This record gives sequence, C-alpha cells and structure tokens, in this order.
Amino acid sequence: MASTALGPASRRDLSSPWRHVDVVLVAAIAGIAAIGVAMVFSATKGEGPDVDVSFLVREIVFMAGGAVGLFVVSIVDYRRFFNWVWPIYGAVMFGLVAVLLIGTEVNGAKAWFDLQFFNLQPAEFGKLALILALAAMLTQWEGDIDLKRLGTLLAVAAAPIFLILLQPDLGMVLIYVAIVMGMLLVGGVRGRYIVALTVIGVAGIVVVLNSPVLAEYQKARLTAFADPESNVEATYNVSQSQTAIGNGGITGEGYGGGRQTQLGFVPEQQTDFIFTAVGEELGFVGAATLLALYGVVMWRIWRTALLARDPFGRLICTGVLSFLVFQVFENAGMTMGIMPVTGIPLPLVSYGGSSIATTLVALGLVLNVHMHRFR
Amino acid sequence: MDTDSPRLRMSILGIVIVSLFGTLFARLWYLQVMASEQFQEVAVANTERLVYEEAPRGRILDREGRVIVDNRTSLIIAVRPNELDDSGRRDEVLLRVAQELTAGGSPTKVAALERRLEDPQYDPLEPIPVAIDVPEELQVVIAEHPEDFPGVTVSREAVRAYPYGPVAAHIVGYVGRINETELEQKQGTLEAPKGYPKPYLPDASSGKTAVEQGMEDELRGTPGVKRVEVDAKGNVVRTALRPDGTPDETQPVPGNDIVLAMDLDVQRDAEEALREQLELVRGYPTDSGYAQGRAGSVVALDPRDGAVLALASYPTFDPSEFVNGISTARYEELTGGDPADNAFINRAIGGLYAPGSTFKLVTATAALRTGLLDEPPEGLGQTYGDNGVYVIANCTGNCERQNAGRKANGTVDLATSLQVSSDVYYYRIGDEFYARSDQFGDAMQSTARDYGFGAPTGIDLPGELGGVVPDAEWKRTLYESLPPDQQANGDPTWYPGDSINLSIGQGDMLATPLQLVNAYATFVARGEQHRPYVVWKVLAPGSESSTPGLGDAPIDPTTGGTTPGTTPDGTADGAATDETAALDPTASSSTTSTTLELDPVTGLPIEPEPPEPPGPEIDLSQATVLREVTPEVRYTFDLPGKAFNPIHEGLLDVARVGNVHVGTAAPAFGDFDTAAFPIISKTGTAQKNGRVDTALFVACGPDPRSTICLGTVIEESGYGGTVAAPVLRRILEPIAGQETTAGQRPQLAEGTD
Repeated sequence: MASTALGPASRRDLSSPWRHVDVVLVAAIAGIAAIGVAMVFSATKGEGPDVDVSFLVREIVFMAGGAVGLFVVSIVDYRRFFNWVWPIYGAVMFGLVAVLLIGTEVNGAKAWFDLQFFNLQPAEFGKLALILALAAMLTQWEGDIDLKRLGTLLAVAAAPIFLILLQPDLGMVLIYVAIVMGMLLVGGVRGRYIVALTVIGVAGIVVVLNSPVLAEYQKARLTAFADPESNVEATYNVSQSQTAIGNGGITGEGYGGGRQTQLGFVPEQQTDFIFTAVGEELGFVGAATLLALYGVVMWRIWRTALLARDPFGRLICTGVLSFLVFQVFENAGMTMGIMPVTGIPLPLVSYGGSSIATTLVALGLVLNVHMHRFR
Repeated sequence: MDTDSPRLRMSILGIVIVSLFGTLFARLWYLQVMASEQFQEVAVANTERLVYEEAPRGRILDREGRVIVDNRTSLIIAVRPNELDDSGRRDEVLLRVAQELTAGGSPTKVAALERRLEDPQYDPLEPIPVAIDVPEELQVVIAEHPEDFPGVTVSREAVRAYPYGPVAAHIVGYVGRINETELEQKQGTLEAPKGYPKPYLPDASSGKTAVEQGMEDELRGTPGVKRVEVDAKGNVVRTALRPDGTPDETQPVPGNDIVLAMDLDVQRDAEEALREQLELVRGYPTDSGYAQGRAGSVVALDPRDGAVLALASYPTFDPSEFVNGISTARYEELTGGDPADNAFINRAIGGLYAPGSTFKLVTATAALRTGLLDEPPEGLGQTYGDNGVYVIANCTGNCERQNAGRKANGTVDLATSLQVSSDVYYYRIGDEFYARSDQFGDAMQSTARDYGFGAPTGIDLPGELGGVVPDAEWKRTLYESLPPDQQANGDPTWYPGDSINLSIGQGDMLATPLQLVNAYATFVARGEQHRPYVVWKVLAPGSESSTPGLGDAPIDPTTGGTTPGTTPDGTADGAATDETAALDPTASSSTTSTTLELDPVTGLPIEPEPPEPPGPEIDLSQATVLREVTPEVRYTFDLPGKAFNPIHEGLLDVARVGNVHVGTAAPAFGDFDTAAFPIISKTGTAQKNGRVDTALFVACGPDPRSTICLGTVIEESGYGGTVAAPVLRRILEPIAGQETTAGQRPQLAEGTD
C-alpha cells in the first residue's frame, strides 16, 4: 500500500488526511457529473434557436452546492458523526412528517418542499440519516444481534419508510429497503434472518401492490414491464426509451442529435429517463463508459469499506454503496426495460437538487472514511 | 476464514454488485449492438413523416388550345384532433367552426364534424379535412384568431374549374375523391405496393369517367414530397436533411395537359342543337305516338383520320357539381329512375340502336360488290318497281312488308332507293341474299363488319359497346343461351324475314351512334377505317394560358360577341334577342347593343348582357408535345367504283330536291346551299316495339373531300328526316359558312324516314 511509505511522515502532518484522498473515486465522480451536466443540457436545451439554459444553470448550481457539501462532510473525521446520528435522524423524521402536511405534490407523490429555486426532497437526505443511524447501532452491537436488536433496527428503518409510503413514493421505499438489506448483511446479522427478511420484503411488495396505497397508474407502471401488452399507456415510456437507446447503436446519434430525445418522445428525459439520452446520443460507447464509471465508483466504495479502520466507517460505505448500486441498476434497468418503472433518479446524472446533493454528500462520507482510515 | 467475517460478507455484496452490473451491460449490448437496427427503424418511423403536397391536375384543352377543364384554388379547413384535444376546448372550438361554416354558406352540424374526426381512414396525427371550398372570409377569420381555433388550419388545394361551363361532359368526365378500390388498383397495398410514381393520399382526387379517368396517369400531377421530423405531439419541427445536407423535399409537378381532338365550337353547337331539338320535339304527335324528346346524342368525326370533333349525349351533367363531392340525392336525380333519363350514360358510345334505314348503306354496298344487282340473268338489276309493298316468297304468316306509309315510289334505281329510302327495294335484296346464301354467304353481315359494326371502334373512352350484327349462328347461340323454360318463346332458325329485317337495319341489328358515323366515314374514305380518337396530344405541364379578364375582353368587330360558340345560353330574354339578331346576322352586333329592352316592372332599360369573354387559351404552337396520336387505320376493305358510285350518287341527293324525287332530308335542309357545301347523308327511322320511333341522321361533307362526318340519334321522337336531320343542319351551317334563318333555331322538318 502507498500508505506504508507515507506512514510516519503523514502522522506528523496536520493536513495528512488530504494525502489519502481517493483520487480515482474523485475522478470517476467528476466524470459522471460532467456527463450528467452535459446530458441534462442536451435534454433540456429545446428545439429551435432559443436555447433553454435554465436547467443547465440550475444543474451546475446543484453540482457546485453538492461539491461544497462533499468537501465539508469529508473534512471532519467521520467518527464525530457518531454522536450526531440521532439529531440528524430526528431532523429527517421531522421533515418527512412536515412534507406530508405542507409539501407540494408532484406526479402524485407529496414528497417535496417548494423552495422556489428548487424542490427539497427530505426523503433524499433521509437516506443519509438512515445510513448513519443503522451504522451507529450495528457498530454498537457488532456481531451480536438477536431478534430484539434486529427488531429495533427494523423499527428505526420502518419509521421513515412508513412516512415515505404515505407520500407515496415507492421508488424511494425500495431504495431504503436496499440500504437496510445491504447494511444488515455487512453488519453481521445472521444469514437466516436476512433470508427471512427477504421473504417478508417480497411479500410486503405484493401486499403494497394490492393495497389502496398506490394509485392504479402506479401499479400499472410497476407491473407493465413484466407484461408489455397489458397496458399500452404504461408501456409507452419504456418502449420509447428502449427505442431511443437501441437507436443510439454503437456510436450514438451524436451529442444533441438524438431524434427520440430531441423530439420529446421520451418523457421525463432530464430526470428519471436521462439514461436514454446518454444511450441515444452517445451510443454504446458512451452508455458503457458511464456504466463503467459507476463501476469504478462502486469498486472504490467497496474497497474503502474493506480498508475502513472501524465498523462504523465500513457500514457507512456499505449503506452508500447499497443505495448507489440499487439506484443505478433500477434506473438504467428501467430505461432498458428489465426493471419496473419507478421514479428513481440516476445518481449524479438525473436533474434534481436533492438527489445530487445527497449523492455528493454520501460520497463525501465515503471519501472521509478513506481519508481517515489511519487515524 | 470466519464465516461471519466482514470480508466474506463484503464479498457476497461484491458478487451481487458485479452480477447486477453484468446484467446492465448485457442488456445494453443487446439493445445497442444486437437489436439496434430494428430500434433505429422504429425511431425513424416515430420521428419522421412524409408530407405530400398534391399537384394540380393537367388541363384539358380543345384542339385549338382552349382550356375546357382548368384548375382553381379551393380553401380547405382541416382539424388536427390531438391539438384540438390538447387545448381542452374541443366542443367549444367545433361549435365555433360549425357556426362559421354555416354563416359562410355551408350549413354544418357539430355532429358531422365529429363524425369526420372519428373516421378511421384518417391518421389522428395529421390534419383531417372537415370542409372544402370555403369562402375566403372564413380563412381570414381563422387566420386572425388562432387562439379561438386551436388545431384548426386552412390550406389550399387545386380543384377543377370549367371556364367554358358544362361543355363536353361526356368527353372530359368528372373528378372525385379516390376510393379504396381505385387506390389499390393504382398503387397496390401496403404489403404489395406497385410503386406508382404519383402516390395518392386517401383524400386525393382521381378521374372517375371519360378522359379524366382514361388519361388519369397523364393528368395526375406528381405530388411534392417532404420528409419532415415531427415531435412526440406530431408537430412538424423541421424538414429532414439528405445526407448531403440539403432539405429532403421535392416540389409538386403538375400533371400533363391533354389536347382533345374535339373542336369546342362544333361541340357547343352539337350540344345546343341536340338539347333544343329535344325540348322542341317533346310531346309532339308523330306517326308512332307522342315524341318523348328525352334522350339523344350527336357524334362528329373527321373521316380523314378519325378525330372525334364532337360527342354530345343528352341528358347530360355539369362536372363542376362533383368538385366538392356530389350529394347522394343529387347523384340519384342525375342517374334517373329510367335509363332514358340517366345523365351519365354516354349514348354516343354506350347507346345501342337499330340503325334503321341508315343501314341501307351496308345493304347497298353488299348488293353492289357481290354482283347481286348485276344485269339479269346473273343478277337482279338495279331498277325495281316499288309499289309500296313487298311480299316474301315461300312464306307463311305475316309475309307482307311495306314502305313507311305504304308510299309507292315507282320505278327506282339504287341511287333513288337511297334518296327516297325505299324499304321495298331493300326487302327484295335481303330476301334474295337469304335465297342465294349458298352463292353469297352472309354478304350483308360481312359488309356490316367491314364497315365496323358488331365490334367496338376502339375509341379511347371507357364504356364503348360493340353492338350486334345478327346472323344465323348468332341467333342459334342466343337461343341456346336461354334458360330451358324460356326457349319455348325463342326460335333458333334464321328465316327470310330476319334477312329482310336486317336489310333495312331493323330486327336484331344494333349499333352505337359512333359506329354509325364511323361507317359513313369509312365509306367516304373509300373503305379506309380509322380508329376514332378523343385525345390528340399530351403536353408537358407549364404552358401559360392567356386568361383575359372580364370586361377587357377584346370583341371581334366583325362578329360582335354573338357568333355561335360565344353566345350566352339563351335565357327567356336572350332567346328573343337571338331571334331578332338572327334575322340579319350582319347587324347582330348593333342590334344587341343599341336596342334597349325595357324592364316590365320598373320601366327602366335593361342593360344588355355583356358578351361572354373568351376563356383561357393555350398557344399550342408554343407548347411542348410529349405524345401525339398517330391516326391509325384499323381496317381497310375494297370499295370498288361500281359499288361506291351509285351509293355516293344516292346519298348526295338525300338532302336535295331532285327532278323527280325529293330526298328524305331535303325539307330539313331547305335553303341550305348543298351546291356550295355538298353533303352525303342518310335518314333513318328505327322502329322499336311499343315505342315511338327513334330518329337517326348521318351526314358527311363537304363532298367529295369530306372533312367531317356527323350523326345524331334522337330516342323515341319520330322520323329521322323530321327530327334528326335539322339537328345536323344546325351544326353544319357554321361549318359550311352558311348562316340561315332556319339554322338558328330548332325546327321540325317535313321529311320522313
């Protein structure tokens, strides 16, 4: 390891954590963010001579804001967060309750605070609160989790999930479930509990699908991918997005030249369906590069989890890894027709302030763990 | 390793992640590499449309270049359903459109608009036409208030115009919306396209009858095609580019112009003479009952090459009624309950009549060229004592045949037999041909076929019939084709009476007026038979037409504006003026312009109708001719002098008063100067069981180098000499340069058969 050589010198150096920044991870993040900014612009600039830069400007602002967050979060040794876990958790719970009362409804889900310049989505930040809370509890009880403790863990996870279900935002619920499952696995919960939870989780999804919590259109969207002929309305998005991706071919139609993208055939193409713009305009070369960059990010997070000096750091990395993997797989899979349609953004590429900020702050935590792995 | 070690658990997580990413890559590979081509096709189909712009149809001109069928611009209101629905004001907007249309003169109900929009033949992404030929004001209303009419557009389309009015309807035909059968015929189906170079849209126009139909491939313009990109809402975003960067579009190319062999002046005279004669004769008592005066036709050919100079059929129709689609009720009215009233039958080529005495040309030719009328003892000799009655030898039953009115003509030779139309003379020939069939065969029938009877002439108009030349075999075949229970009423045997009937063009003999005229044209050309043709030339599009505006039309000082062909159709007032003017043709101009009639109500002078301005015309010498008909000799037979001369002599006298005999058409031709413009002609009066006689008349002139052969058939209206001959006289007078009193108006002559 490079650290061995740096070892003694770095311990005396106050700025030493910066010598352990994961440059590869930062470069991959920067690459993804660059693709994201470019594609949001391509998908929103509009047809005709009057170029719409409003999305581009806001996206850059979100990225810059998120980068500041990433920087701030990575400076302070992550172990200090241990003591802030519950205040953060409480603040998010407060936000999730408040959004149900005074939030703005978009696409049928009451999940946003309208802050004029952007919409704040408390559930996005809630992911970080859940990761920190679960990491703290699993660290305390490391390796010794009985059913009672498991119940406590699940209760802590279930509270925000329940509030999000009321919005309702099924996609977000699934992200939370992914975080819980990933962290329980790495946190040392017994295999048979995990299997049992998986069974219960699947059963829960079936129950939700058959309950009145979701509107008919949401259920149709979720199930249409399994039976494309069943619902033309619900399959329209997926069929158009697959067409766009397929149309890109190997080298793509060129940046700003995707006919399906530019002519508005793919709905929500700057947010949930932005991967189609990548696929159509940059082709297999571009889309595979983007996926590969995500792969690099995953690899570096996974590696950081292994290198972490304590379980708390490892579990934070696991939580971040879990939601990023799930979001990338679900989002890209959805646009390619192998996953159900849910409103899950593609990390750092989809337009949206809360998602970008949360993702960057989460990656800041991972960088933090990496930088502080020796002290 | 400890089974619960974090490293193992991280590995499990890692494996899950790798397999998930593997899945994504595999799917991406499938979509973008393996199946990309099919998705690219779908994407192009999604985002590109071909937009067609109809090209104007070619024009139809008379032989002088006068534009009989032209184009004008019609405004079309179309609605784009998805844009209308997006506005959320569908009901309100449709109500407004219906109101505006109603106010603009075409009463429209919202329900009718709804039906149109729901019609599955239209693509809901494309504008659907809901009203055509709307007034210009409506376009202004819609263009100035786009916010009130979301999804409503006004476009322009070229539609047919008829500058000279409803003339030559049975030659030019009419245009209508193409139907599915025609579409399939032209361009095949989606699965099996025929690659027709002038593609049709579901709403395109196509020729339905006559030249408009027959020349469809020439007349139809090539639509302009533009490849455009559309967005998800169906809005056209831009014109797609070719690989070289130029816009992918072609301009519409107008159809080719058609020059007809028809002469507009002759055609108009023919139509007018026919119509007025029918109106005059209607209800007159004749020897066979009250004249019907309901239907008839006129044909004029150039015997030198078969050019169809005129072709009129009555009742007729106005092709402009089809421009915006004709109502079912109106169409049925024109079709009529009785075939005699069907305006769409072109009687000149699709009406079958017994030719009556006009057939004597054939019988005479047969008798002379076979030698039947050679001097005895070989033949019968040319003279015969006509006492008005002929008794068939070796016959039982009704064996007596007679001339019209049992009139005895005394001793007649062949020429006289034609001049006075002696039936008895030809009964004898028919009887003799029957008796000597071993020697002469079916001489009458084969001569009839030589003259073109019994088969279509091959004219380039759809709907021509071939007629019947009956012989023994035909009669037997007809009998055998009868259902067994009806055979008791039939008879397979050819009797002397059949030959006798045929000799005067009666019995089962049937011919079209065109065949009849064609036969006389063949006679004039000494046995050379041309294929009659309606279309003379095909011109490349783009010839400029002169279109003098109303009011500044130059008036020919020598003729005023009242020469035949430019006279407005006679209204009640106009007819009186015409008559006055006709008394002194040279003064016609001053008469109409200086004599002011007084309005009976106001007492104020009535402004005389301004002379009709000349219509648009093309200078044919400047036009590019793509194709031209080469006159085609279809058939030739030998018409020796010994056959031609006596017949020619007789036919020349039909319209004359001779020293001894008066020709059957002589009264009708009255003071027509046959010395200055000699004509060969023949009257005919065909009997039809239980009906009034059909009047026929055929004439060619000026003899001996005839430039025109005409024929007319007036259904169920009396004698050919009385009813039919005056019609041709009226048409011939301007051609002969003779303007006489009688020729200016319809008349019934004294003549008989």
